[in-house]
Amino acid sequence: MTTRSQNPSQITVGDELPPFELNVTSTVIVAGAIASRDFMPAHHDPVFAKAQGAPDVFMNILTTNGYVARYVTDWAGPEAMLTSIKIRLGAPAVPGKPLRFSGRVTAKSAAGGACVLELAVRAVNDLGDHATGTVTLSLPLG
Amino acid sequence: MAEADPVRAAVEKYVGKAMGPQSAAPDPVNVPMIRHWVDALDDRNPVYLDEAIAATTRFGGVVAPPAMLQTWCMPRPKIEGIAERGGAPNDMRFDNPISVLDEAGYVGTLATNSELEFVRYLRPGDHLTLSNEVESISNRKTTGLGQGYFVTWVTTYRTTAGEVVGRQLFRILKFDPSTIDLSKLKAPR
Repeated sequence: MTTRSQNPSQITVGDELPPFELNVTSTVIVAGAIASRDFMPAHHDPVFAKAQGAPDVFMNILTTNGYVARYVTDWAGPEAMLTSIKIRLGAPAVPGKPLRFSGRVTAKSAAGGACVLELAVRAVNDLGDHATGTVTLSLPLG
Repeated sequence: MAEADPVRAAVEKYVGKAMGPQSAAPDPVNVPMIRHWVDALDDRNPVYLDEAIAATTRFGGVVAPPAMLQTWCMPRPKIEGIAERGGAPNDMRFDNPISVLDEAGYVGTLATNSELEFVRYLRPGDHLTLSNEVESISNRKTTGLGQGYFVTWVTTYRTTAGEVVGRQLFRILKFDPSTIDLSKLKAPR
């Protein structure tokens, strides 16, 4: 990612974040589960996952939140401080079905010397909406 | 007057109450775990590991990825038998509404909402505790997965000094798989 942060004066409500496609593999799912210390077998053991009715191992929620955060800060830059990630959970993220991230600036205001942004963020795959929701963040003003 | 629902009545006592004991993170926020996360998610934001760049930012030094909030407090798992426990990390049990719904036949679990709030970013050395409170339990609903109840709880994360650093609202649907109306299930696209 770039080490330069977005300039708040150049952000407008309606701006779209650049799209990002995550190639979801078993490795991506297992790496995220273990890095987040989630040892639930559904996130690393396909036999267990299928016995539960899932098509394969599926991404844990901690990893989903991690990728949503990464998607937003890859755009906003290192000065961004996330203040919330609120998502509705839908279709599972499973190996072989890439997740497509999109986002849009839905509100912009100023508070305490910082620019406060609200973004609508969505991650979808061929099964439907994996995660949809709102991320809020602040960026220092000049 | 709504129809009497003995299951809903049995879980009413949990609403607004603590769910389980307060627990402490096994380790303080630390760079090795941050590095593991950064590599696993390929998140190259320099404020997480690059001390020189982080020092020039508003953070003044390295900070943990905010979405790791929950990770710090994940319980240490007992791997042996984890599948037989349905994925529960350990044998710890406490009185809670989810077990009551399980015993009433609402054995299915579907996570529907996660709402993380970050009061401030964490730094290496911060040592967290968490406590859970049941925020609400819905009346019985008919959903795409049959009959069930939405259970919502809020986790509050504090430092050991008592400073609130974040919160997470979590909502799950506990459903009875035997009540799923198969004629209404949508085929995956």
